[in-house]
Amino acid sequence: MPRAFTLRDAISSGLITGTVMIYLVSVGIADAFAEREVVTGYLTLGRLMLALPPLAVGYMVAGRPLPNSRRVVQALVAGLAAGALFAAAFLAAVALSPGIRTVLNRISRALLDFVGFSDLGLEPATGAIFNLALATGLAVVAGLVRIAPAGVRRAIVGGAAALLVMSMVEPFLRPRLLQLDLPGVAQFVYDSHGLATASAALILAGGAFAAVAWPGMRRTARSRLAAADPGTRTMLRWAALLVAIAFLYTLPSISGSFLTQVLVLVGFYVLLGLGLNIVVGYAGLLDLGYVAFYAVGAYFTALITSPTSALGWGLSFWIALPVVILLSAIVGLFIGAPVLRLRGDYLAIVTLGFGEIARVLLGSDALKPWLGGPGGILSVPFMLGEGTYFLPIIGEVTGPAATYFPLLGFCILAAFIAYRLKYSRTGRAWNAMREDEDVAQATGISTVNYKLLAFAMGAAVGCVGGAIYATHLQGVVPGGFVLLVSITVLAVVVLGGMGSIPGVIVGAFALIGTPELLREFAEYKLLVYGAVLVAVMLLRPEGLIPDASRRGELEDARHEEGELHVEYDEISGDA
Amino acid sequence: MTTTDPLATQHVSDAEAGPLLVARDVTKTFEGLVANRDIDFEIPRHSIVSIIGPNGAGKTTFFNQLSGVYHPTSGSIEFEGIDISTLAPHVVASLGVARTYQNIRLFQNMTVLANVMVGRHVRMRGQWYQAIAGLAGIRDEEKVTKRRAFDLMELVGIPRASATELAKNLPYGDQRRLEIARALASDPKLLLLDEPTAGMNPGETRQMTDFIARLRRELQLTILLIEHDMKVVMGVSERITVLDYGEKIAEGTPAEIRANPRVIEAYLGKQATA
Amino acid sequence: MRRPSNLSLVDVILWALRVAIVVGVAVGTFATLSTTRLSGDQWRDLLIFGISQGSVYALIALGYTLVYGVLFMINFAHGDVFMFGGMTAFFVADYLSDNGILNSSPFIAVPLILLVGAISSTVVAILLERIAYRPLRRAPRLVPLITAIGASLFIANSVRGLYGDGVKAYPRIDLFQGTIDFFGIPILKSHATVIVAAVVMMAALYWFVEKTRTGRAMRAVSEDKDTAALMGIDVDRIISVTFAIGGALAGAAGVLYAIVYNQVIWSMGFLPGIKAFTAAVLGGIGNIFGAMLGGVALGILESLAPTLLLAGFGIPSPNQLRDVVAFSVLVLVLIFRPYGIFGRPESK
Repeated sequence: MPRAFTLRDAISSGLITGTVMIYLVSVGIADAFAEREVVTGYLTLGRLMLALPPLAVGYMVAGRPLPNSRRVVQALVAGLAAGALFAAAFLAAVALSPGIRTVLNRISRALLDFVGFSDLGLEPATGAIFNLALATGLAVVAGLVRIAPAGVRRAIVGGAAALLVMSMVEPFLRPRLLQLDLPGVAQFVYDSHGLATASAALILAGGAFAAVAWPGMRRTARSRLAAADPGTRTMLRWAALLVAIAFLYTLPSISGSFLTQVLVLVGFYVLLGLGLNIVVGYAGLLDLGYVAFYAVGAYFTALITSPTSALGWGLSFWIALPVVILLSAIVGLFIGAPVLRLRGDYLAIVTLGFGEIARVLLGSDALKPWLGGPGGILSVPFMLGEGTYFLPIIGEVTGPAATYFPLLGFCILAAFIAYRLKYSRTGRAWNAMREDEDVAQATGISTVNYKLLAFAMGAAVGCVGGAIYATHLQGVVPGGFVLLVSITVLAVVVLGGMGSIPGVIVGAFALIGTPELLREFAEYKLLVYGAVLVAVMLLRPEGLIPDASRRGELEDARHEEGELHVEYDEISGDA
Repeated sequence: MTTTDPLATQHVSDAEAGPLLVARDVTKTFEGLVANRDIDFEIPRHSIVSIIGPNGAGKTTFFNQLSGVYHPTSGSIEFEGIDISTLAPHVVASLGVARTYQNIRLFQNMTVLANVMVGRHVRMRGQWYQAIAGLAGIRDEEKVTKRRAFDLMELVGIPRASATELAKNLPYGDQRRLEIARALASDPKLLLLDEPTAGMNPGETRQMTDFIARLRRELQLTILLIEHDMKVVMGVSERITVLDYGEKIAEGTPAEIRANPRVIEAYLGKQATA
Repeated sequence: MRRPSNLSLVDVILWALRVAIVVGVAVGTFATLSTTRLSGDQWRDLLIFGISQGSVYALIALGYTLVYGVLFMINFAHGDVFMFGGMTAFFVADYLSDNGILNSSPFIAVPLILLVGAISSTVVAILLERIAYRPLRRAPRLVPLITAIGASLFIANSVRGLYGDGVKAYPRIDLFQGTIDFFGIPILKSHATVIVAAVVMMAALYWFVEKTRTGRAMRAVSEDKDTAALMGIDVDRIISVTFAIGGALAGAAGVLYAIVYNQVIWSMGFLPGIKAFTAAVLGGIGNIFGAMLGGVALGILESLAPTLLLAGFGIPSPNQLRDVVAFSVLVLVLIFRPYGIFGRPESK
């Protein structure tokens, strides 16, 4: 039975929103972004951050099953509540400063000026009222957008998204444009660090148009695809894959040095994520100590390849690699074996324990003779030709791009392996084990063996990542192998969708790429990771790109048993 | 690729080959509670046998010992001459024992097709490295298994179009059928059905009863049922064993059991549903 | 037909592990004691430090065990609840110190600080339960655990954002300076305070759980949530109460911790949190007495083991590996006896 949404609900939603706004200011997110221009002279990212909560609550609250007028009223009330709370807090902060600084040390004069819109010449009292009005207005606008026809809604959201994205990429796009000898374009699009007004308007319009046209185009493409015969479809799939790979191949050349570095970092997490995906996503084993495998790979590689290490063998990376993989698979078995019978959450804590033990041991004096203590192991040679080599089409490769290509290759390999495993007897066994362990056993699946297999595969992939990492940094130090790495990889997998291969890629770009691109974010990275984990679990536990195993079975079935006709649209569920 | 043909043993007569399963003096205790006490039990090959008894009599506990989920505290269980009383469940499954569950335990978030295919796990040989390499043998095995899965779906009566539905989205009757299909996928010798008609109306119950008889006939299976519905029990079983308070109190043909005073007392005395 | 062997690789590894541990402990201890590098007094001081550290662990462990008892989930964020209490109480302590009240009327000031710590942690704990855990009551067990991890990150880093990166030095409390004479044994007053306060709180908790109606309801909910609901117990409220009590204890522990170490920092929740969890598991998760005992035991173990065991092996800087001791206990207990000292194995 649908419950009645009273004004009290709107007020409580509003109060929560107000709290979120106060939080954003107190923690420092709002003013960290205050300098970042979105549209120069009009809108900064900081202001946008503070505008988002009232927009969100207005949009959400107006989605309730009520007549349109009531919906707008709900949005209004929610915005009012949020604004009132926020304004009150602002006035309190003004009244209590500077004493309040001893507790909340961010509440500086500058911050209060920012919140109170003193750049518009407003006194605190007026500023408070302005905030109240602004929050209310934003909520109402969002509410109106919500009740608007779908096309209008799409247009507005699309335009806004395009605006945001174009302003975010300014740090790379502008230098690239200049490099490509297009200073005119650069100047048109960007005015100092934000978008110029004219281009902002254009982008808004363009984004709106694209958003409106998108569903139509998609539908046409889908129906054409569905009508085509299996042969053409497979060809198209392969073609798409090849295009993607070709694009990735040329990416460093068009991206410039900084972006390539970011890509390398993302790539590491993609690789680790693919490995953890097998353990968590396929087999359902929550491993919080995954960084241990990463460390094993890195340290063993360093030991074997560095001429100054305790072993001092100085062997080539490519000789060391299979040895290291084997070793880490064995370590994976050793770690996995005792903990197999443990229940999910206990398993997580034990693996956490293992990871932490590894971390302490890595930097300890006790193992210093072998592992180099806090200084680690240095002089690890690069994996290919001293860090510079040649590739077809691209030519000379140096710097971060030198790591990019092998890393890309291994990521593709890992994704391929993960894909093959997923749609095999092994993958089904893992799925069954994850769904219901007892019944899986009764169906003939040796859960012990399959859990060990998952652990070993995850270990192998993680260790390859570590090996590449060691040659990338040309050394290893214990500081790079902390619990946070395990948690970050987990966040990547969770956000992307546990068990989903494209999900890992999206998750890595989202969680690793964004803080690198939005430098201000870096300080709040962990905060965001925590919030993301909680939000995903509460709102969309299947992640951004849910596991598509169903689709896989579907497609194979369509190919084999020609009579089956199921539309793609049914699967994805959108119009 | 050779496959062991479960029908190959047919040339030996059932009497000569001996009972499929022999349980002797099986006792199972849980921290002081004796769930099964000194149970002797035999299942002749290709027979349909039922275990009945009031709630709490220890039927499911016994079942669990036959599939390797529990191990008897004392006593022995031999399947095809092999002592299974200390084997892990997946090993017992590979020997040819398959089961369904009282409260339907399908792999909810897997498709119907995947459920049946995973049921065939023990008869497939594809290893992980073979899957990665994508060898032709593996692809063939997958194709054959998929075909078999469709055949089984047809056998139990699940519409073809449901193949890509998630198991949890199936109607109740189809879910029960799917569980049986999953169990049959491994070409078992012994099929354990735990209350297969629970929650069914008389029409469906009749269908299920006929189906069980068909299974034995067409697939040469040996079937052991736990059931509460007496019509089913009486209608399809060749022999019935009655448990009460963990002990075997009677055994015989349906006619004998119907007339057995101890059985009547066990049921009526506890006002159990019949 | 092939008969699979009953002795698997896993069993072999486990037995090898058991043997290695027993041998290692024996050899290390023997080696240390035979080279007698520490005096009796020094051992005694280590022991007392261990007891006081362990008391803090015990208080935090109670929170884990209480929550696990009713919800069967590991509240990974509990360590950060502990931190929050210590951190919030810091501001009060600082204020009282500036006013001079802290040292002129310590018997009013200190309980006040403890109270603030307890209350602020309670608030966080209750919010945590309502926002992050309650919606996921019926979800598979991994989901609340991942949520808890996220919550832990979120709380710790929010504090970092709110109050800053650096260490906050607790003001000097004159009352806790120096040592007190306990039957001829000199004990640091700070340690003595921690131990006494912890004992008092644990006794209060024990009384609460055993003697009051709410305590009985808590025990009922942890036995069988559904039946308790049928008996008329408001399960949601009891769960909130459980989180509140666990939070209060952790918050007080945060203040006590600050009294011993004289500082708080946003990241101080993680290690004591994990160690307290280890203590709870050691004693038998869900068992209150076990949590108390486990906490003290772990504290003592952590204090003595580096010197007692590891030094014997000639390992340099054994105290670096002090955390390894705690993590090893965690790992070993979960592998060999996951139900802890006072727990019983789940039967199959």
